Amino acid sequence: MLKVYLKELLELTRDKKTLIFTILLPILVIPVIMIGFGALSAKIANKAVNENLNYTVIGQSYYPELSKALADNTTLVFKALDKNVTAEQAIKNETIRFAIIIPDDTPFKLTQGLTAEIEILYNDSSTTSRIIFRRVESSLETLEDDLANKRISALGLSQEQGEGLIEPIKLIKNSTANKRESIGEKIGGFLPYILILLALSGAMYPAIDLGVGEKERGTLETLLLTPIPRFQIVFAKFLVIFTTSFLAVFLSLLSFALIITVFGPMMFASIGNDGNEAMTEVLNSFATISILDILLMFLMLVPTAAIFASLLLSVSIYARTFKEAQTYMSPLMMISFLPVVLAILPGVKLDWVWASVPLTNVALAIKEIFKGTIDYNMLFVIFGSTTLVAGALLYLCSWWFQREQVLFRN
Amino acid sequence: MIAVKNLQKRFRLDNKTIKENRKKDPNSLDPREDGHWFNAVKDVSFSCEKGKVLGLLGPNGAGKTTSLRMLSTALQPTSGQIIINEQDVVADPLVMRKSIGFLSGTTSLYHRLTVRENVKYFGRLHGMTEEQLNEQCEKIFDLLDIQSFADKKADSLSTGMKQRANIARTVIHSPEVIVLDEPTTGLDVISAKTILDFIESYKNSNIPVIFSTHHLHEVERLCDSVVMIDEGVTKFSGALDEFKALEPNGNLYDVFVNLVSPRTQDNKEVV
Repeated sequence: MLKVYLKELLELTRDKKTLIFTILLPILVIPVIMIGFGALSAKIANKAVNENLNYTVIGQSYYPELSKALADNTTLVFKALDKNVTAEQAIKNETIRFAIIIPDDTPFKLTQGLTAEIEILYNDSSTTSRIIFRRVESSLETLEDDLANKRISALGLSQEQGEGLIEPIKLIKNSTANKRESIGEKIGGFLPYILILLALSGAMYPAIDLGVGEKERGTLETLLLTPIPRFQIVFAKFLVIFTTSFLAVFLSLLSFALIITVFGPMMFASIGNDGNEAMTEVLNSFATISILDILLMFLMLVPTAAIFASLLLSVSIYARTFKEAQTYMSPLMMISFLPVVLAILPGVKLDWVWASVPLTNVALAIKEIFKGTIDYNMLFVIFGSTTLVAGALLYLCSWWFQREQVLFRN
Repeated sequence: MIAVKNLQKRFRLDNKTIKENRKKDPNSLDPREDGHWFNAVKDVSFSCEKGKVLGLLGPNGAGKTTSLRMLSTALQPTSGQIIINEQDVVADPLVMRKSIGFLSGTTSLYHRLTVRENVKYFGRLHGMTEEQLNEQCEKIFDLLDIQSFADKKADSLSTGMKQRANIARTVIHSPEVIVLDEPTTGLDVISAKTILDFIESYKNSNIPVIFSTHHLHEVERLCDSVVMIDEGVTKFSGALDEFKALEPNGNLYDVFVNLVSPRTQDNKEVV
């Protein structure tokens, strides 16, 4: 069995496609994509924060102080519109980014101590629209505060009473979740998705190559005629696919860790102080993840990789041709991902029932481990049920391999 | 010695074929089709002594490859007996595989491995030591004229080179019987000659060689005995001279054509 395993591994290392999908993709391509995506996001966010925004004000005369407050912000550039152009048209053709519309009843409302409703017209579908809104809002903060203070003084109230008048009840957020739990809830949702995807993609090409590839090339029949029990041949092939699948996950986690620690600070620093703080927070949270937790995450991925390895090998052995195997892979991927997607749904939490659902349980467990809230007893059930499924699939694969109808289907 | 007695192999037809057959004229169907089943081999018997070469003849689809696959343990017979050196192949295929060197008609090499790596890999699977492997490789590579490309990757070789490497892989473990399914098909004259010379080298050894072929001149040159199969049934089994004697002119081509069933001849699947 070891001879078959070593030979298959040697052959795979000489195959460019396997090297790309199993080694290069997780080590280089995914990090490059992540760094590139991060840098691009940072650049876009930076641009939205610092770029000059053209705007116009309709009804300036009703509240000149507001126009002045906007004009004081040097990154906001006033543009008068032609008479025949509406504000909507100007935003649509990108002459301006937003328009402030001051209604004619504003002076009356201001003098009467009422709320003046000033409209901001902008394209909310833009990815950076929230940043634009925040910039306009902060430009008007001083004006708003001054106005509020004047009204408080006019009522003969102290500053504190005034604040109490504006906000009679203030709800202060105080979460029982620590930073790791909070970040884990956000990141931990998609981490298993990525890891399971990598486990699947790492297994896919070798599975096709070792099953139907060998069948199509005509080497399978010769291999079956050696005095090696068929179960051992299947098990050796399964181990090779399992190795590549697990290697893909391991290497990507390793490079992910390197990115976070080496490139992460640089990436976040480019956003500014807020970015640095966020990064420090993420790194501090990661620092609380123990070696045991990381090992547990890997442990969860062992039966997962085994499930994919045996499932893909079964399909690959059944297929007549490489092409036929590839057509089976797409629906298989979709079916495999359903349980993983289930884990992202709101309300789906790791309990004894979900702990026995293969793949969903692993996705939920990785999230819980990441958050630091895992019930370690649950891991036995997860590992047990997933191993059971992996074992059953391996048995199916071995049974499949004994059948003449499958082996000589073509 | 190899003895094959009343070998039979049937396969279950898929539903698509069964439906298609129902629409056809029953007289046009292959007589081996039987409802949900196809009797690829109905009754095949032959034997081959040590140091003799047996030629397996028959038109396309006669059941030659299925018979050889049963002989090599790739397929399990539905019924019948295969005895190699007094041991039952069907009863213990795993053990018997060590005694058989089988070259399938559709076989190939691991194209990312060199010829030497390919041959040695199969030797290792047969339990050979590195020392035995090195010694045996040198011997076979010389006989099959492989040395010049032994360390080249299989995907860079010509068809003839690949087939010679395939044969080296088939005999690396010094099998007690050699079974070759159309070993010279698609080869140039020089490569075919090397392979035929190699088969000939087993004559008068203690190893029987069975090979299927469509080339009757190869039978004339190499074979001591002949077995001819048509529609899954043995039509002739005996010495080459007896086979030739079936026609007054002794022409193998005429003997072959006259033994093939009229139905097969109508289908023009002869030779």
